Amino acid sequence: MTNTIELTVNGVPYPVSIATDRNLSGVLRNEIGLTGTKEGCDDCECGACMVLLDGQPVNACSYLAVQAQGREITTVEGLASGEDMHPLQRNILATGGVQCGFCTPGMLMSAHALLERSPDPTLEEIKIGLSGNLCRCTGYARILDAVEATAVEINS
Amino acid sequence: MAITDLPEFIRADGPDKVTGSGRYTADMTLTGQLVAKFKYAEVSHARITNLDVSAARAIPGVFAVLTADDVPDLRYTPVIADRTLFARDVVRFEGEVVAAVAAISAAIAEQAIDAIVFEYEALPIVTDLEAAVADGSTLVHPDLDSYVITGDTPHEGNVATHSSIEMGDAEAAMASADVVISSRYVADASHAAPIEPRAIIAQWEGDKVTIWTSTQVPYDARDGVCETLQLPSNKVRIIVPHLGGGFGGKCGFHFEAHIAALAKAAKRPVKLVFSRWEEFVAPDRRREGMIIDVTTGVMHDGTIVARTGALLLDNGAYSADATFFPQAAAMHVAGPYKIPNIKIDSRLVYTNHQPSGSVRAPTAPQGCWAVESHTDEVAAAISMDPLDFRRKNIVHTGAIGPVGQTYDEIGLDQCLELATKSAGWGNELPDGEALGIAVGWWPSFAASAGAFAKMHGDGKVQLITGANECGTGSVMTLRMIAADELGLDQTDIELVYQDTAAAPVGPGATGSQTLLNHGRAVETASRQIADQLKELAAVHLEANADDIVLSGGMASVAGTPTVSVPIVELAAEAAEGDLLLGSASAPVHDSPELFGSTCLGDQDFASWLAPQFSCHVARVRVDKDTGVARVLQVHTAHDSGTIINPVAAHGQIEGGVLMGIGQALTEGTQYGEDGRQQNAGLLEYKLQTIADAPSIHTQFVEIFTPNAGPKGAKGLAEAPNVATAGAISNAVARATGVRVRQMPMTAERVWDALTTSAREDDS
Repeated sequence: MTNTIELTVNGVPYPVSIATDRNLSGVLRNEIGLTGTKEGCDDCECGACMVLLDGQPVNACSYLAVQAQGREITTVEGLASGEDMHPLQRNILATGGVQCGFCTPGMLMSAHALLERSPDPTLEEIKIGLSGNLCRCTGYARILDAVEATAVEINS
Repeated sequence: MAITDLPEFIRADGPDKVTGSGRYTADMTLTGQLVAKFKYAEVSHARITNLDVSAARAIPGVFAVLTADDVPDLRYTPVIADRTLFARDVVRFEGEVVAAVAAISAAIAEQAIDAIVFEYEALPIVTDLEAAVADGSTLVHPDLDSYVITGDTPHEGNVATHSSIEMGDAEAAMASADVVISSRYVADASHAAPIEPRAIIAQWEGDKVTIWTSTQVPYDARDGVCETLQLPSNKVRIIVPHLGGGFGGKCGFHFEAHIAALAKAAKRPVKLVFSRWEEFVAPDRRREGMIIDVTTGVMHDGTIVARTGALLLDNGAYSADATFFPQAAAMHVAGPYKIPNIKIDSRLVYTNHQPSGSVRAPTAPQGCWAVESHTDEVAAAISMDPLDFRRKNIVHTGAIGPVGQTYDEIGLDQCLELATKSAGWGNELPDGEALGIAVGWWPSFAASAGAFAKMHGDGKVQLITGANECGTGSVMTLRMIAADELGLDQTDIELVYQDTAAAPVGPGATGSQTLLNHGRAVETASRQIADQLKELAAVHLEANADDIVLSGGMASVAGTPTVSVPIVELAAEAAEGDLLLGSASAPVHDSPELFGSTCLGDQDFASWLAPQFSCHVARVRVDKDTGVARVLQVHTAHDSGTIINPVAAHGQIEGGVLMGIGQALTEGTQYGEDGRQQNAGLLEYKLQTIADAPSIHTQFVEIFTPNAGPKGAKGLAEAPNVATAGAISNAVARATGVRVRQMPMTAERVWDALTTSAREDDS
């Protein structure tokens, strides 16, 4: 069954006609054309598809697109302000927290949600906040550094 | 800071990756593109009695259904040609591709897969390595002798290849030893598990095909397509968009030919994107399970006099590149030690499991884990401290290693001291915590690699390289090398890479070779332009070209920086005359000579060019009630020669250590009685999370290494994955007093070892 719905992504309304059983990550990537949201497992295991729904991190692979109607959807493409990167984006590059980059968008979204709800997180809070995002390249240390550096930056 | 204003050591592809604008293969869409799906055997060993795709072909929206009958009838793989693109008569593992479908949507492709009639008669399965080499075993390839097999590849029955390393008289020396210790260690199979599942798109234009694919090795992928579909090399173009990790799992040639054949038959572009289950079961790059028997003879003063070993490696159903690895495994069980008498036999054994192949330092984590655990057992048997025992026996500059190679200047002894000091070896720790040491090594590989370089009229440079960026930082380091040669800023250099139509041939991202081989080609091609710039500057500055230095965007006379001309002016001048072009092929280094050793089934894996050395010390806490081991800290020291890019180097160590922790504690494939994987998903096959990650402390022993990469650098991407599991094993043993002899050393296995030991104490 196909529905025509409106999804608001990074502040932009997108009317889309989609089957009811479509997941949000697939619709973001294919109909809306924002491929920054990655798909690594289709089963809530890896976190590469993490987006924010009204500020809450959600695995978009396991969330129906129709359920996202009326909510503010934020993807990695919505982090930067024009040419200016979000401090998290800048810091994760500066610390060396990006290697293959496939987990990076999801990691950034989880980190962003964490800092929004806890602007000065403890080490333990960062670890809990990012434990739904798998990274196979970095060993996480530099991702953690980037989140800490961003917390310092936004609190100063 | 704007996207265009980034400091040094920022990866050139970084802004793309953090803003979401970067395209990976799965992110691409071509007009008219069809969806590919594979029909897998889903049975470990069977004879096909009926394969009928006519119903699938009749479904509206299905544009192509292919089986073995639709592609050239030939067997391939690098050394033993034991494999076909599609199953022919017999299937030998669950992930074998029986048929492939291209359809207008994923749902219709699935429907077509379901409509394929695939009937078979089950055959006995071979999964146990010892049973597989015993007389009378079912043979995975009864016709092995009739296959094309190249190189020194002794094979018989289920043994795909038998390699050995041998020096001195191990039997006699063992008989003369004061103490002889034997150990058996068993490592489960594991996976590369990159976060990006592989994706492939193929599109034909006339008789040429372009294939976008998530491969680490574009030229191997191209050669595989050419071999299996019988196409000339200049008709096949492989392009790799951003690559979401590989770790060896995306080495070799995989499914590019299937998708190219589908696109040809469908007359449409065709796209394949793997599910996570497919990523676990279908590629022929699994880290091999191993059984390792090792015996060491030692004198009371701690001198190792002899070692023998017998290794069985699970090849799986087809050989891929695994034929190289029995000898590699033997070298890791020898270890970086002075052992004058040694004999290690290593056999690669066919089974009905998924094929194994290169995964980040193939065979090294298993071999090192076994032999470093064994080393602590040997030290304990003569009441010697594990650090002192290693101090006495490891190879140092000028020493002769276990296959008669004399090592030039190396820094393993410094690595041992630095890592143990950093970890506080000998300090008292809380109850349940302990430190464990392991030392490891890994070779550098010489291979042909070329590069082109061109400087444009505005002074900007393009480097055209066969290097591949799978995350390791070649986009940073190759630019640094060129910038250094040309006296320019890194941001003046742009890489053109991952396109076989543009760049000269090279190994790609495999065997830690980017810097060693591609780096030298880039260095030489850049130097050719630098030399041309110096000639031009010499005319301007009325000086000798030999006296010109390039730095900070200026060409100046050595010693008098004020006598200078901007490089951009020289570039503009050249753009109107003789163009500034470089093209270089890095000379392939010779392998070092071995003296006094004999190696059966020699796969060129005993003589080690520019070997890399490491020492890892793990601090582990074990909960004795549950068997849960947590790694609290890892202290590493590495000799990888000169470090050119510290950010990338630390990144490799930290990622390698975490992968090593996964292998040590949680990552192991479990097989059912049917030979099929039972935990082919990321919930059941547990990678380490940020909550599991310890603090990692790294030091580099930087020794300029001749006959290696640019500026005396060696490789680094695989080395950090060698010694971590061994260090954790020794820490677990010291914390608990018991030895866990199977990897991964899961909580269940640790608990089992503890309770078995307690029962033995009670009785």
